[in-house]
Amino acid sequence: MTQQASAATGQMPIGARVHLAHAVVQKLADDRGIDLLHLKGPAVLPGLRAGNRQSSDVDVLVRPSHLHKLVDALESVGWEQRTDFATGSVFAHAANWWHDGWGWVDVHVSWPGVTIDAERAFDVLSRDAVLHPIAHRPCPVPCRTAQRLVLVLHAARSGGLGDVEAAWTSADPAEQAEVRRLTAELGAEVALAAGIGELELHRGAPTYALWHHFLHGGSRLDEWRARLTAATGTRAKAGLLTSALRVNRDHLRMELGHPPTRQEVRARQVRRLRRAVGELSRRWERR
Amino acid sequence: MTRYRIADDVAWVSHEDLDNGGTPTAYVTRLPQGPPTTLEGPACVVWLALAEGGSPAEITAAAAQMWGAEPADIDEDVLSLVEELVRLDLVTTA
Repeated sequence: MTQQASAATGQMPIGARVHLAHAVVQKLADDRGIDLLHLKGPAVLPGLRAGNRQSSDVDVLVRPSHLHKLVDALESVGWEQRTDFATGSVFAHAANWWHDGWGWVDVHVSWPGVTIDAERAFDVLSRDAVLHPIAHRPCPVPCRTAQRLVLVLHAARSGGLGDVEAAWTSADPAEQAEVRRLTAELGAEVALAAGIGELELHRGAPTYALWHHFLHGGSRLDEWRARLTAATGTRAKAGLLTSALRVNRDHLRMELGHPPTRQEVRARQVRRLRRAVGELSRRWERR
Repeated sequence: MTRYRIADDVAWVSHEDLDNGGTPTAYVTRLPQGPPTTLEGPACVVWLALAEGGSPAEITAAAAQMWGAEPADIDEDVLSLVEELVRLDLVTTA
């Protein structure tokens, strides 16, 4: 028998890396008293996801008031922030950190579709959390009912409804009723409806157009119109318009593989402007 | 008698669908700093034998059962691998 132990990070399959990275993040949380929940990928409880799909990154939901502690912890072991919460997504709910050995961690402070205060939402989602072994380490994950909701909301948001079958359709009526009760508590009725084919029951809701866009697509102009409708308050709408006019440097950096130069940002702004002109022209022609 | 077990600050994963080209593989790391270590083939078998802890004889017996070998034929190699894992702080003596 020969000894075949090697420090072979580069040869590690993504699936193995993600399992170990969840455990690394949980160790950091344990050591620093950080409340978080592991989501998606290996955090999904058995039977809630069809097939054997693997995640390529670690998703965690952190108690918002503990975010600064988690950021310090991640960066103390070599993770580098690559996107911030303003630019990371439509909902400004997540930001990404990269580690050369452990890969991506997506840190969420809220979950798309949940409309109540984020701190309160964390309390609700973690209320019945269970410890689920990932890489042979106990990691807190939402209970089965909360996981069903998280998976359906994610499916509605990402435009892929593959997870809905296992998370919702195959649930029995009592389980679905539990999910609806939790949904009401979190103010996520429109998002759940988008995930389970009931969106048209919410045509008057401010977020209807946004979820319709996620489900059915449309131009970038349609997306921004939907976001403006969903934003509550003048300040929120103004904030959206401001960020709409700004090139997302974080995403451009990821796309280019290096921090964008001023010239590259300017070139991207010109490209966006041309795309907007094209969209306006197409609308004009349709009239 | 010395007994061995996986160290408290270790995370590891070994699934058939993560095996390297059909070779049994375990991916192991200390927390939180790493680095990750890949244990393939016989090394993975010994790691799995270690998972429940035990004396050298018990670990050798478990490895021999998985490997389809006689314990007497592999006991020295098993112990030397276990000692290397102890040196890497992945395994500790109980």
